[in-house]
Amino acid sequence: MTRMSLHTEVSAMPALKVVISVLGSDRPGIVAAVSRVLSENRCNIEDVSQTILQSEFAGIFIASLPEDFSMEGLEKKLQEHLKPMGLAVLVKPMHEADRYEAPPSEPFVVTTIGPDRLGLVAGITDVMARFGVNITNLRAAFRGGADPRRNVMIYEVDIPLHIDQQAFRKALRQRAEDLGLDLSLQHRDIFEAIHRI
Amino acid sequence: MLSDREILSTLEMLRSEHLDVRTVTLGVSLFDCADPNVDGFCDKVRRKIMRLAQNLVAVCDEVGDKYGIPVVNKRVAVSPIAVVGAAFGRDDLVQVARTLDEAAQAVRVDFIGGFSALVEKGFTNGDVSLIDAIPEALAHTERVCASVNVASTKAGINMDAVLMMGHVIKRTASATAHADGIGCAKLCVFANIPQDIPFMAGAYLGVGEPECVINVGVSGPGVVRKAIDRARRATPALDLGRLAEVIKRTAFKVTSVGELIGREVARRLEVPFGVVDLSLAPTPNVGDSVGEIFQSLGLGSIGAPGSTAVLAMLNDAVKKGGAFASSYVGGLSGAFIPVSEDLNISEAARKGHLSLEKLEAMTSVCSVGLDMVALPGETSAETLAAIIADEMAIGVINRKTTAARLIPVPGKKAGEKAYFGGLLGEATIIPVSNGDLSTEFIRLGGRIPAPVQSLNN
Repeated sequence: MTRMSLHTEVSAMPALKVVISVLGSDRPGIVAAVSRVLSENRCNIEDVSQTILQSEFAGIFIASLPEDFSMEGLEKKLQEHLKPMGLAVLVKPMHEADRYEAPPSEPFVVTTIGPDRLGLVAGITDVMARFGVNITNLRAAFRGGADPRRNVMIYEVDIPLHIDQQAFRKALRQRAEDLGLDLSLQHRDIFEAIHRI
Repeated sequence: MLSDREILSTLEMLRSEHLDVRTVTLGVSLFDCADPNVDGFCDKVRRKIMRLAQNLVAVCDEVGDKYGIPVVNKRVAVSPIAVVGAAFGRDDLVQVARTLDEAAQAVRVDFIGGFSALVEKGFTNGDVSLIDAIPEALAHTERVCASVNVASTKAGINMDAVLMMGHVIKRTASATAHADGIGCAKLCVFANIPQDIPFMAGAYLGVGEPECVINVGVSGPGVVRKAIDRARRATPALDLGRLAEVIKRTAFKVTSVGELIGREVARRLEVPFGVVDLSLAPTPNVGDSVGEIFQSLGLGSIGAPGSTAVLAMLNDAVKKGGAFASSYVGGLSGAFIPVSEDLNISEAARKGHLSLEKLEAMTSVCSVGLDMVALPGETSAETLAAIIADEMAIGVINRKTTAARLIPVPGKKAGEKAYFGGLLGEATIIPVSNGDLSTEFIRLGGRIPAPVQSLNN
């Protein structure tokens, strides 16, 4: 995954910002196609990130539009170029006011290990949501091959300082037990201490 | 974002390689408890330990929980009692030991160290009383640990103290004969004792140390062993230089964990952080053994020819990795080879691969010394003293710490087993060769002069 911040020739006027998400089978040329449309229409990419899950590409772009160009116009242009490539595009305005203001919190890593079955992620994230714990990164790390016990889910989360830490830990552990999962919850610093200089 | 590898390998270290913090030890100075009256002294000692250590266990557990790394042992180390209780006689000092034991129990720590004397150059009255009180003190307490420093590179070897300790060890063994002489497992004789050891039985708070301090002892033989196994599986042709690098990197990881946890415990207790003791400290559990590392490096057993070389490399690599991970390194810092506390080393002794002589040779390159070595009960005080003298000489000449924790198991002979239980483990009694041929030498007494510090050959 790449993440960058690009700032070039931004106009003095506060421009309309939009979020563009692109989804489809991964192949060379997706980012090039999206960014070509943006650049041809004088839209500046302010931030971008992409990921690939198995064979699927997902990209999210934050771009600012010139004053004389509408969001609908951009969406139309993007659809024109990307639809034939089999890519789904969604464009929505980005409002600063909608931004989630994270409370003071500490970063933790939750891992669950256990046999795959329906509802594991739903079960675990339900507890997190209930306590206002925000997931900052979530991924599955299947390492088991034939061993179903080794299905691993990794959740990087921010646990707000103001919540009852013990109650959260207890609820999470209880839920993991109900789901037949081996769960660990550790402050992120321990991973940095062990692996990074 | 953390990588999957970072997260999964950390989990692996915790779940199957026994990564933990072996001990967080709170040093408590008792100098301001000095009192000519023993009851007054004991009262002040009890109050001070309870005040400073009351939250130690809870805080260690909380911090361990936060990071998912257990702090296995929480301990207290106090100023040398022979110094702070110098005014007291033998019986009063036994009472002080009982007070320490009660205070340790009240704050739920498993050991309290510092029933100690520093006599490398000679005895004060307090030192003589304390040494005399050791057998009874250790027999009547559970958690108190005693240590006596009888030698240093700057002072030489106090041979009168060495002989005295031979007798004290014999008396301690008899006083705890019902439990295979377990009192001796809580008694260390040192050369060049560091002032900030967090590990028992040698922990005490030195006279140059602050009022209160947190020192941390890390562990990790299981982690080192698995790292070596993985590296050798991945690249069978790996040579010792590359393997030393693997050990070094692993020691860095283990030490970083200890530093992180120690600092947080210290911060929460509002106590200064002292040192990390970079030690590979085994427990009597499968997969948590220093001896197994020797096998992973291709020796059939610890004790076989090559063992001293392996230990030298291991010890050095642990120090190099650890020193990079922590700015404040202290204590013993090296690999421990406590016979009864390490399943694999204990087994090597049982099979006869590991003799007293080979153990002694190995202590010239590792951090501690003849540690948790069970000897025949009939071993004389003079022979014990002579074994101690040899061990002290290694430390004094090599400008390093060495120690002897010898257990002459009452009523048992070489080849029989001694059982100490828990972390102290069990061990086959190893033979002491040459009978009583050292008596005349040991009884000469006096002080072996400090060695010259140049002309190093």
